[in-house]
Amino acid sequence: MKKIFLFLVSIAIATASFAQETFPINGTTNKNHNIYAFTNTTLVVSADETIANATLLIKDGIIIGAGAKVSVPKGAVVYDLKGKSIYPALIDAYTNYGIADAKPAPRGFPGPQMESYIKGAYGWNQAVKADLDAYKLFVDNATASEEMRKLGFGAVLTFQKDGIVRGSATVVSLADGKENNLIIADRAAAMLSFDKGTSTQDYPSSLMGAIALLRQTFLDASWYKSDKTKKEYNISLDAFNNLQTLPQIFETTDKLSALRADKIGDEFKTKYIIKGCGNEYQRLDELKATNCKFIIPLNFPAAFDVEDAYDVANISLAEMKHWEMAPVNAFALEKNYIPFAITTADLKDKKEFWKNLRKAITYGLSEKQALKSLTTIPAEMLNVSDKIGSLKTGMLANFIITSGNLFDEKTIIYENWIQGNPYKINDYNTIDVRGVYNFSYQDKRLYELKIEGDIDKLKGTVLIDTTKTPVNISVAGNSVSMSFNPKDITGTIRLSGNIISEPIKMSGKGQTPDGDWIEWSAIYKSALTPTVKKDSAKKQPTFGKVIYPFCAYGKPHDEDAGFFKEAIKDIKNPYDAVLIKHVTVWTNEKEGILKNQDVYITEGRIVRIDGDINAPKTAFAKVIDGTGKHLTAGIIDEHSHIAIYSGVNEGTQASSAEVRIGDVVYSEDINIYRQLSGGVTTSQLLHGSANPIGGQSAIIKLRWGKSPEEMKFEKADGYIKFALGENVKQSNWGDLNTVRYPQSRMGVEQVYYDYFIRAKEYDAKQKAFGALSDKEKASATPFRRDLELEALAEILNKKRFITCHSYVQSEINMLMHVGDSLGFQVNTFTHILEGYKVADKMKARNIGGSTFSDWWAYKMEVKEAIPYNASLMNQMGIVTAVNSDDAEMGRRLNQEAAKSVKYGGTSEEDALKMVTLNPAKLLHIDKKVGSIKVGKDADVVLWSDNPLSIYAKVEKTIIDGHIYYDSEDDAKMRVEIQKERARIIQKMLDEKKGGAPVVKPMPKKQKLYGCDDLETDYMNAD
Amino acid sequence: MKKIFFTLTIISTITATAQNKSVLIMNGIAHLGTDSVIQNSIIGIKDGKINLVADATTAKLDKATYDEVMDATGKNIYPGFIVPNSTLGLTEIEAVRATNDYREIGTTLPNIRSIIAYNTDSKIIPTVRTNGILMAQITPRGGMVSGTSSIVVLDGWNWEDAAYKIDDGIHINWPNMVGRKVLDEDNGTFGPYEKNKEYIKQTNELKKLFDDAKAYNETDVKEEKNLRMESMKGIFTGTQTLYIHSNDVKEIVEAVNFVKKYELKRVVLVGGKDSWLVTDLLKQNNIAVMVSRTHDLPQYPEDDVDLPYKLPYLLQKAGVQFCLNNEGGMEAAGARNLPFLAGTAAAYGLTKEQAVKSITLSTAKMLGIDKTTGSIEVGKDATIFISTGDALDMRTNNVEKAFIKGKSIDLDNEQKALYLKYKNKYGLK
Repeated sequence: MKKIFLFLVSIAIATASFAQETFPINGTTNKNHNIYAFTNTTLVVSADETIANATLLIKDGIIIGAGAKVSVPKGAVVYDLKGKSIYPALIDAYTNYGIADAKPAPRGFPGPQMESYIKGAYGWNQAVKADLDAYKLFVDNATASEEMRKLGFGAVLTFQKDGIVRGSATVVSLADGKENNLIIADRAAAMLSFDKGTSTQDYPSSLMGAIALLRQTFLDASWYKSDKTKKEYNISLDAFNNLQTLPQIFETTDKLSALRADKIGDEFKTKYIIKGCGNEYQRLDELKATNCKFIIPLNFPAAFDVEDAYDVANISLAEMKHWEMAPVNAFALEKNYIPFAITTADLKDKKEFWKNLRKAITYGLSEKQALKSLTTIPAEMLNVSDKIGSLKTGMLANFIITSGNLFDEKTIIYENWIQGNPYKINDYNTIDVRGVYNFSYQDKRLYELKIEGDIDKLKGTVLIDTTKTPVNISVAGNSVSMSFNPKDITGTIRLSGNIISEPIKMSGKGQTPDGDWIEWSAIYKSALTPTVKKDSAKKQPTFGKVIYPFCAYGKPHDEDAGFFKEAIKDIKNPYDAVLIKHVTVWTNEKEGILKNQDVYITEGRIVRIDGDINAPKTAFAKVIDGTGKHLTAGIIDEHSHIAIYSGVNEGTQASSAEVRIGDVVYSEDINIYRQLSGGVTTSQLLHGSANPIGGQSAIIKLRWGKSPEEMKFEKADGYIKFALGENVKQSNWGDLNTVRYPQSRMGVEQVYYDYFIRAKEYDAKQKAFGALSDKEKASATPFRRDLELEALAEILNKKRFITCHSYVQSEINMLMHVGDSLGFQVNTFTHILEGYKVADKMKARNIGGSTFSDWWAYKMEVKEAIPYNASLMNQMGIVTAVNSDDAEMGRRLNQEAAKSVKYGGTSEEDALKMVTLNPAKLLHIDKKVGSIKVGKDADVVLWSDNPLSIYAKVEKTIIDGHIYYDSEDDAKMRVEIQKERARIIQKMLDEKKGGAPVVKPMPKKQKLYGCDDLETDYMNAD
Repeated sequence: MKKIFFTLTIISTITATAQNKSVLIMNGIAHLGTDSVIQNSIIGIKDGKINLVADATTAKLDKATYDEVMDATGKNIYPGFIVPNSTLGLTEIEAVRATNDYREIGTTLPNIRSIIAYNTDSKIIPTVRTNGILMAQITPRGGMVSGTSSIVVLDGWNWEDAAYKIDDGIHINWPNMVGRKVLDEDNGTFGPYEKNKEYIKQTNELKKLFDDAKAYNETDVKEEKNLRMESMKGIFTGTQTLYIHSNDVKEIVEAVNFVKKYELKRVVLVGGKDSWLVTDLLKQNNIAVMVSRTHDLPQYPEDDVDLPYKLPYLLQKAGVQFCLNNEGGMEAAGARNLPFLAGTAAAYGLTKEQAVKSITLSTAKMLGIDKTTGSIEVGKDATIFISTGDALDMRTNNVEKAFIKGKSIDLDNEQKALYLKYKNKYGLK
C-alpha cells in the first residue's frame, strides 16, 4: 500500500517540468528546456482575437510564440492539433483552493465575550484578520486542483474565508507540485466581508456593527500610520494599511449589501470589486451606478417541489421569481455594461459549472463575454494580466486544448496545460468509434451494431433479430472491449480486439459464457443519423419581469418596458397631479377639520386646499372623489423597527453610538407595504434598547419600490437611540448575561457620565486640532477620530438628537439631570410609560414623549404604565406621540391614537396629531410633513371613514404626490401575484417531470424586530 | 386630593356585593349578541337574570315593579364580552417568573387545572372589565396536552366565587410538522426551519393517551386510579370540550382526522390561521373555530394584507361556527382589546351585530355556557353592560355600567386611580 502511494507521488512530481533552484536534489537532476509546439490549431488568444491555423510555442512554462506565422524551431516536440482549438486556461477569482478552513479561537465559558481571545499584539477585534496572508497558508491540493483543471481552469485567487477583514489573497496556478512554483502573485488582493466568521467575540452582533467596525478600522489604521510615536504596536492595523495598495474584493450575500459595501468604499476612497451573490439583476440601476466591478457566481437555485399545494405557501414570490430569473443575471450585467468576472464559488457541486454557464448563455450571455469573464477580466482585476488570461508571448503557458468552441455543449476539453505542464483530461488520440457497424460474432451472421454517446462514455446497441441488446463498450487507444447478453444465450459474451482506423475496422477474439473462444469483427457502415432535437429545447427561455422591490406587491419599473430596456426609468407616474374632491380634511392646523374641500397636489407638494378646484387643463390630474371620506396627513411612526436588515441591536457593549441603522435599511421588507396599507408614510427606524447608548436611527419615507438610499427622508436631523431600565441592565436575558456593564440603574447613570465626559474632551480636542493649519497638523500629535465619541459630541453640539427608551420615573429623572449637568437635552422620551409622573419636569425642559397607547404588565418596569399617559402628557403641554415599536401595530396607529380619546378624553383632533403632526415635531420634520397645509409635502392618506374609527380603512396612501398604496390597485395585485405564482408553479412542475432535482419547501418566517431583539448570530438571521 | 385616591383604591378592590336590586334599563340600543339589535329597548333585570327584553316603542310595562329605572337613551347595551383561551389571572407580569402560573412541565398534562391558580386579585382584571369584558376562559399553556380550562366571571372574592364552569375542556397543542430548534432561549435565536422528526412519535403519543383514556373511562373497575385519564372522561362523554390549538393547514387536517376517530361531541379548533382553506372539512366535522387574534400580520408576504382582519368574515361566509380570541403576546393585559378585534372584523366583512356575536353568544356556545349566558335574552344571566358609544370602536367604547349576574360591578381600576392622582398633582381638570 505504502509503496503504491510513494510511486504515485513521484509521478506527480515528475510531471512538473520545473524544479526549485534552491532545493537540494536527491538523485540526478532532470531539467528539461524543450520547446513544445502546438500546430495547425485555432488559437483563441483572447476573447477579442482568434487566429486560425496557428502555432503556439512554449518553453520552460512560458509562451515564446503564438500566431499564424510562427515557425517551429528544430528539436521542438510537435503536437498537431488539426481541427482542435486552444483557449487560455480559465481563471477563478474567488476560491479557497488549497487553504484550510479557519478554526475558531477556543471559548472558555458561556456568556458574553467582550474582548478578543487572540493572544499577541493584535487589534481589539477578532474579526479583523488583516494580518492573514493566504500565500503563507497555501498548500497544493491535488484532488481540488484536478477538479478545477477538468473544468478548464488554470489559475485561481484563493484566500481564507474568515472574518470581516480577511487579509490578502494569492493567485496560484492549478498545477500540482511544490508550492514554491505555484504562486503566481503572492499578495494579489485584499479580502473583506460583512461576515465575522469564526470570531467568538460578541462585537459585532449585527450587520450595522460589522459596518461600523470596518469604518473605525479604516480610521484607526490611518491614524496609526500617521502616528510616528507608535506608543501602541498593532499588528492588525499595520497589516490593514499594507492591504490598501491591493485590489479590494468585498464579499456580499445580497444585492443591497453590495450597495452597502460600495458606500463604505466611497467614504474611504476605495473602489471595491464586489463578490456578488447572483441576485444583482434585482437592483441593476443602483449597482451600475456604483461603478464597481463584480465577481458573480452561477449558483442557480433548484426548483421547488410544488406538488403539495399547501406546502407552496412556504415559497415566497421572490424565491419563485429568483428561481426563474437567476440564469439571466450574467446577461443583465453584460447588457448594462457592468464589468464582471465569473466564479465557480457558491456552487453546491463544481460539476454544475458548465451546465450553468451554458444555461446563462441560453439566457442571453454572449460567449465572448463569458470568455472574458473567465480570463482577461479576472486577470485584470487581480493585476496579473501580464501573466495569465490570454495567450501572448511572455505569458505563462496556461491553456486548454478543446475539440472546438469551448461553449458548445458537445465540446470536449482534451488537455489543460498549466505552466507548461500537461494535464490530460480526455485523450484526443482516442479514435472516435461512434457510428453504425456491420457486426459479426460466433455464427458469422451480420448484425447491426450502433455505437453512440459521449466519447468517454460510449453506449452500444446490437440488433439481434428484432431485439435491441445493449452493449457495454470501452475504447482505450487502439484497444476495444465489449460485452453483451444476447437474449437466446444465458450469460454474457465478452469480446476484445484491435481498432484500425480510416475506415474503422474492429476485430479480435472473445469468449462465450461457456468459455469457448470465438472470433468477431465490426466494420464501419455509416455515420449515426443525427437525432432531431425537439424545437422546445432551442426555444428562447421566457421569464417574468423584475419587480421593485423584488417581493410580493412589488411592481415592474415600467409596465411597457421589457426587462432589457437599456436604461430603466424611475417608477412611472401616470399622472402629474392628484386632485381629491369633496373630502373632509383634517388639517392639523388652526383651521381644524374642514368639510367638503378639494385638495390639489402636484410636484410632490400640497398646492391648494379650497372649496372648489378645477384641475388646470395643462396637467394630467388624477381626480379622486372624496365624498364621505376623510383626508389626513400621513401617519408618522416615531418608533419603528421595520425595514432593518440583520440585527436591530448592537447590544454587545454599553455604548454602540457608532452604529447606524441608515447602513442597513432594507427596502424589500413587506412590512413597508403593510404599513402603507395602514396609512403610514414616514417611520423612524430605531436601534433597539439593549444598551444605554444605542445606535443612530434612520428616518425614512415609505417609498415602496425605491432603494434604501432613496427612502431616506431628505435632510432630516440625525437621531440616536438611548435606553434605560431592564433591557440595558439585562434583567430579563437569563442568568448568563451578568457580565456586561451596567447591571443596575446606578450603573446606567455612570455609563452616561463617563461617555459624555469623554465626548466633551474629545470634542474639545477635535476642535483644537481642526483649528490648526495644515502645517501645524503635520507636526502635531495626530488626532484619532472615534466615531462613537463623535456621535456623542454631535449631541453636545446639538447636531444629533436623542430618542430615549424609558419606563420608570426615577431613571427618566436621572437622565434629565445628567443632561442638565453636561449640557445636552433629551429630545424625546420614547415609550415613556411613566411620563405622566414626570410630565412637569419634561415640560420644563421642553422634552417630548412618544408612548404606547395601552401596553403594560409585560415587565416589572411597566407595572404602573397607564393608558391615560398620552392624554395626560398632552394635557401638560408636552409634544406627545403614540408609537408602535411593532410591525403589526404600526399599521393600526390611527386606532392606537384613538385610544387617547377613550382614555383621558383627548379631543379627536389632538388624538390624530399624536400620530401625525406631533411625531413630525419630535423628528424635526414638521416643516415638511405632519399636516395638510399648502406648500407641505404631499404625504396624505385618504380614509373611508373618520380616521380614528376602527371602521376606517385606508383607500390611498400618498407620498410626495405619488400613490404608494391604493386599495383598488391592491386588489388587482393580489390577483396578479396569484397568477404569477401559478405560472411559475407550472414551470417548476415541468422541471420535476423532466427529472431535475427539486427542493422541499420549508417555512422561513421573517424575523420581526422589537426593541428587545438581540441576535447573537446576525449572519443566520432571516 | 389624597382622600379621593384613597376612596378609589378601596372601591376598586371591592367586588360586587350581594345586592339583589331589580333594574330596568330604558331606551338603550340593545345589541343582543344574537346577531340582532333593538334600537329602542327595554331590559329588565331581576334576581340576577334578565327577565325582560322588549322594544320600548311597543312594549307596555309597569316600571314600579323594578327597584331602579335607568335611562339609557342613545347608549349601547351589550351582553358581557367573553374572552376565551386566555391566561388572564394566571400571570401578572410576564417578565417576572414568579408571577407566571400558566405553564406546567411535561408533555401530556390533561389533569392540570387552571382554575385553582386563577388570581381574582390580579390588578389586570379590573382594567379588562372596564372595557366590557365580563367573562373569561382561563386556559393553561404549554405541553402537548396543556391541561384543563375553566370559565369565570370577572368578579369574585376568590376563584370559587368567580368560577362559572369548572373544567370546561381540555386543551391540546397539535404538534408542529415543521419547526426550528431553539439555539439560544434567552436571546430568542432559532435555527432554520426543518421537518419535525418527532412528529409521528408525538402524534402517536397523543393517540395512545386518547386510546388509553377512552378505554380506562369505559371500564367500571379501576385497578389503580390514573389522574390523567380520569381527567379526560368528560371529552368522551360530551360534558367537556376538546380544544385543539393549531394554525397550519396540514396540521389542522391531521387534527380533524385524529378527533374523528373518537367521535367526540365537542371539538373546537383554536387559532386556525389557515382555517379558511379547509372550511368544508370543518363544517363536515362540526368543528368550530376560535379565531386567532385579528390584529395580526399575515403569515406570508404574498398573503392579502388584510387576511387576519377578514378571517372571521371568510369563516362566516363559509358557514363555519367561530368566535374570536386574543391569544398571543401580552394576552392578559391585552384582553381589554377584545372588543376592537371584533370591531376590525366588522370593518372587514362582518356586520356589526355579527361582530358582537363573535365575542358573546358564539363564544358562549363554543364554551358550552350559552344556555345561561352570552346574549341578552330572557332567562339568561344579567351579565351585561352599557357603553355610551359603540363598544367595538376604541374611539367610542366607554363603559358606564356593568352587571355580572345582575350585580352592578365597580368599573374603577388602579390605572384610573393613578390617572386621577397625577391629574390632581398637576391641578388638571
